[in-house]
Amino acid sequence: MVRLLEKFPEERMKHMVSFKQTQLNRFKRVAGLQVDTNNNLNGENDPKLSINEIKDMLNRSKGPLGLQRDDLKKIQAVIPRDQFTEQDLKKQLESLKNLMSNKYQNYYDVGDKMYKPAGNPQYYSRLMDEINGQKKETFFSAMKVIFFGK
Amino acid sequence: MLRSAMNMGVYSSHMNPVTISRAIISINQIGLGHVSRLFSTSIVTNSQETNAKNQPKRIIPLAQSKYESKDYKLPKWKESLGEFVISSLHLDMDKVRAGPIAGSYYYNICREQGLQVEGEKLSPSAKYFYETLKLPRTFSQWFQITALHEWMLFTRMRAMPFKYGRNYQQKLVDRTFSDIELRLFDEMNIHSGRIVDQYLKDFDTQLKGAVLAYDEGFYTDDATLATAVWRNLFAGRKNIDINLLEDVVKYIRSQVYIMSRLSDREFATGKFNFVLPTETVKKLSPEEELQRKKNVIEKYEELEKSGLMLPSEKSNLSYSN
Repeated sequence: MVRLLEKFPEERMKHMVSFKQTQLNRFKRVAGLQVDTNNNLNGENDPKLSINEIKDMLNRSKGPLGLQRDDLKKIQAVIPRDQFTEQDLKKQLESLKNLMSNKYQNYYDVGDKMYKPAGNPQYYSRLMDEINGQKKETFFSAMKVIFFGK
Repeated sequence: MLRSAMNMGVYSSHMNPVTISRAIISINQIGLGHVSRLFSTSIVTNSQETNAKNQPKRIIPLAQSKYESKDYKLPKWKESLGEFVISSLHLDMDKVRAGPIAGSYYYNICREQGLQVEGEKLSPSAKYFYETLKLPRTFSQWFQITALHEWMLFTRMRAMPFKYGRNYQQKLVDRTFSDIELRLFDEMNIHSGRIVDQYLKDFDTQLKGAVLAYDEGFYTDDATLATAVWRNLFAGRKNIDINLLEDVVKYIRSQVYIMSRLSDREFATGKFNFVLPTETVKKLSPEEELQRKKNVIEKYEELEKSGLMLPSEKSNLSYSN
């Protein structure tokens, strides 16, 4: 399980907490492996975030607005606790394998109709370019989107 | 349960979108104003309901618009007046239809997925989200569930011709926020407009973030989509059951798959409804798919030729894709 999680793809955008890291820590504890407590919840080996990145993260995600303490308790109460049996773990492993082998994307294949949508064929490729930082939007292309919508 | 090939789209049986579109349009034409308040049900509030905890509170029913009720029938004269206006002004029905279909019908199916009504049993889909997935029963959780479903509709709306798809998306979002605003005042008992504005901005940021994350996951792979679901729907819960995560990913992919098999015309006239999360969608074989396509084309060709279509039922959207 831990080994598989280690192969889990890195997130393209940095967030306050990362799925991979939290899950790795969780299952490492179950497996009796040593958990690295030094590296924070952020990313594996790069705690060196630039100031801009941190600012960006904080701007993007605000704390729960106006939640009272008893509401937080209520939320806590709903969340199940970890209790693993061997069978559970096997199930989890199976699910994780399915997710990582892209089972559902391949089975429910939607084709170019959805990936290159007729109304805006460049939508996803532009999005991915921006996220991966391969091709940045220029000022003019951004203005074009504002005025014409695509 | 496996769905058979032909009713894969799960045609809505309880309401006929075409009549509804006709109803609202003709009403608009004769100047009775449009409907903004919706539905008579009210939702259980959790996160902010502080003073109403001990004494039972009468729920103010939100907006009872008769035009959106399931069994409303427009008087004949209004209907024919509407049809007359549409045909004489050559209105673009595909544009007009965005309001009643995306703004009303599609918004309501998104909204119902996670809706909890005080004193009533959970609907099967809400049961899945709150009991099987063990999500907290709060207003913001309801919003996340709704946002997920809206995003699924967005993916299909993008595949419509730009002019129309964009309009559909806009109407869906407009309606979402006007509904949320009303409910924050009425159900959540917030009296300050400033706080409501703050909430609305917060929900807006959440929606943008969710759409971006889901889009990335949808385009790349299941693992990324799962991360997006974990971050948004499950609010980054630490001890997540990966089985459930897998379930949700499967649910999303199957809904988008169904939408991708519908033609523009069918989707734009509201012939889509979400399949329950507890059911499994069976993939169509290539032959079944061809057969379905042929049937749809035949059906619409016949309709167009017959000349029985009312002006409000006309559409330029393709039924063959």
